[in-house]
Amino acid sequence: MSHPMTPPSEELSHRLLGTVPYKDRLPAGRLLPPVGIIPGDVRSLGELHLLLAPDDRSLPGVNFNALVDWVERVIGDRDLADALRKTTGNTASYVDGCFKVYELVGMRLTQAREIAGQEVLT
Amino acid sequence: MPLYGYAGKILRLDLTQRKAIVIETEKYRRWGGGHGMGSALFWDFCKDKTITDGRHPANVCCIMTSPLNGTIVPSAGGRCEVVGVGVGMYPISWFTRSGFGGRFSTMLKYAGWDGIVIEGKADKPVWVDIRNDQVSFRDAVNLWGKDTWTTQQEIWRQIGIQPETKHQWQDLQELELLTKEQRKGKDQGRTTQKSAILTIGPAGENQTAHASLIHDAGNGAGQGGFGAVWGSKNLKAISVLGTGSIRVADPKAIIRARMVTKEKYVSSWERPDLRSWTRLGGFPRPIIFVRPPTNDRRPQSCQGCINGCRTRYNVGYGNESSCQETAWYGSFARKVAKSPAENTEINLRSADIVQRYGFNSFLFQTGLHWLEHLYEEGLLGPGKKIHSDLPWKEIGTLPFAEKLVHALSAKTDIGADMADGWVQAAIKWGREKDLHTGAMQFSYWGIPEHGYDPRAELEWGYGSIMGDRDTNTHCFNQIFTTVSAAFAFAMPIRIEAEEMVNLHARKLSPYAKGRPEVLDFSDANMYSEAVAQLVRWQQHYCRFFKQSALFCDLKWPDFYSTNTPNLEGATASSDAGEQVFWNAVTGDKLTFEDGIELGRKIWNLDNAIWVLQGRHRDIVHFAPYVYETKYEKGELFPFYMWPCRDEKGKWQYTDLMGRSLDRGKFEEWKTIFYKLEGWNTKTGSPKRSTLEKMDMKFAADALQAAGRLGEEEV
Repeated sequence: MSHPMTPPSEELSHRLLGTVPYKDRLPAGRLLPPVGIIPGDVRSLGELHLLLAPDDRSLPGVNFNALVDWVERVIGDRDLADALRKTTGNTASYVDGCFKVYELVGMRLTQAREIAGQEVLT
Repeated sequence: MPLYGYAGKILRLDLTQRKAIVIETEKYRRWGGGHGMGSALFWDFCKDKTITDGRHPANVCCIMTSPLNGTIVPSAGGRCEVVGVGVGMYPISWFTRSGFGGRFSTMLKYAGWDGIVIEGKADKPVWVDIRNDQVSFRDAVNLWGKDTWTTQQEIWRQIGIQPETKHQWQDLQELELLTKEQRKGKDQGRTTQKSAILTIGPAGENQTAHASLIHDAGNGAGQGGFGAVWGSKNLKAISVLGTGSIRVADPKAIIRARMVTKEKYVSSWERPDLRSWTRLGGFPRPIIFVRPPTNDRRPQSCQGCINGCRTRYNVGYGNESSCQETAWYGSFARKVAKSPAENTEINLRSADIVQRYGFNSFLFQTGLHWLEHLYEEGLLGPGKKIHSDLPWKEIGTLPFAEKLVHALSAKTDIGADMADGWVQAAIKWGREKDLHTGAMQFSYWGIPEHGYDPRAELEWGYGSIMGDRDTNTHCFNQIFTTVSAAFAFAMPIRIEAEEMVNLHARKLSPYAKGRPEVLDFSDANMYSEAVAQLVRWQQHYCRFFKQSALFCDLKWPDFYSTNTPNLEGATASSDAGEQVFWNAVTGDKLTFEDGIELGRKIWNLDNAIWVLQGRHRDIVHFAPYVYETKYEKGELFPFYMWPCRDEKGKWQYTDLMGRSLDRGKFEEWKTIFYKLEGWNTKTGSPKRSTLEKMDMKFAADALQAAGRLGEEEV
């Protein structure tokens, strides 16, 4: 991953690990061929990370533009938003983009958990 | 002359009198089986077809099989159809349908029955014990209150093994060899199988709109609220044990067609194409929305099916649940899960909860998001306008899932207001505006949007609103899932848009044969006569082939297949099409078009019942949000790819997100649809001329007597 991010401040770390207000949720879903899409909004980076976890039978549904805007405007993490913008603007496919976003978000969560003194999940 | 494929008898259960009466199947043979026979039986036995709530004592519920059940026809042997007036729809609970898989329908046929007609109401809870031609009504007082799994275990215990039965392993070498004469009849009356049980749980006992029928661990008839219908009749369960068999007309023809299916249409195990574009020919795989909890698992199928879309796991949870049941709690579970494994466990254990309560989780598809919206907006909760003592802060946890399903099943907390239907609850709570804003996405007839938004995928939405429920017929939408997945992976497009629509058009006989434009869902074509023909074809195809012959919805129709050199799928083909299997089993000489025509008759019989219930074209419309808000890009997925023609007439896959329906234009489209169906364009009621041409004078007479016959138009 070629987007080193400055470690977040303690205050930002808590925001990265928190839940945003309902009105600020990020629309998302999940597609399972051949049976369809189910809705599933996201209200935290942790939820987003689970949504994007690779699965060989279904696909997460996220609008990358809306995601970058959400991270910047709602979560308030410009570093992560920039990294996501660069990554999602340079992917071989939507699924490739999902993998890369998954890794970036995972890295940012690890940084935030370390700073916040939380258990770092593996 | 034997009725090949049929058991020959239909069981009529009069719960009021506790009588079991035999109906000859022959009388209903013209309707094929399944839904068609069920509609005809409902027509004959329901004395008041104006009822609009399935819990009314006059309601008649039919559990129907098909001639193909119990045979080896691929993905057609194990489905079962349920019909009757439903519960919880809005504004009217229509005469409707549901279906489930497993082994109930086959066992019913091996017991000698083509279906069950349930009427009346028992004075106290009963379950029905069917063992071949022996039918008894048994006391269910001790089963009442038990969940669906405990109920089945208790019935299996009660049925037990007869004391004289040999149930230890036998040494085959020591068994006496019987002559053919001695063997005659020896296979009758004994079985190694458990009985097949269809039952309700607490949601059904309390007659809530969310109640389903459950068979084994995870086969459910969810939509329609038929669990509530059974609860209203004091019917807890039906157990069937059959030891007979089904005679088929031409066994060699079945084997031949099945071998053609394997060799021509199905993906090869020797040279696997893991990304083939096909429905019937795909590799077996579980249909679950989460990662499997373990690799120590085995596929589980409906009887005779080649797919295995469900799974049993050695971890002991999530067994046999599939599709939406495995995801109803998905986005909420993510709030508390610390890992994908924990996410899986919460989701699959939540699936177990709805199965045990006999609860239709499909209502949570968009419904739980609406409840969350009410909670987050400060409208629902302790001391709020909509009072609820449920611990909403804990949403996402397993204890909350159980408390919520319990409340809605037991009619406690908000469950008291929701028992008659979700839109009814919204109105009671003064939240009709949520149907305008889209906060409550219940698109048609008080039922949630399915994931194929009517603003994008027209045949799904239009078919649902012209019918009686969320159509849940996956005839065409594999185009969306397959093509969108290819776009998502940037994989090669195996079938380009123009070829895709042409492959379909070859098989859309008779209304749309050779008319690829019926699949053009572009803005310019979305209210056209062509799209109306597509919707007609889908409704008629499904009423017969899927819902009466009981070909599985997820495998049929098979329009295209990258497994074949010319990319044609099995549907309507002369070597392994639906009609080939039907004829091999029944001895009929049915053409594919005959099957579509029979579906049209069944569809018209259903519409006659809806009109008697009070249907008028003025109430045939979507929830307001479908007209008033756009299906935003990225709302659920980044794009919704579908073949459309551009301004120059060139076919290409196009994203259908970002639009709403136009109310006025949709009304014009309805007029086109009614004209094509031969229904009165002002009312939507069938006309005498239409019905009589289909040998349905009886329906025209009944409509006329009720003052509901459609006027003839020039």
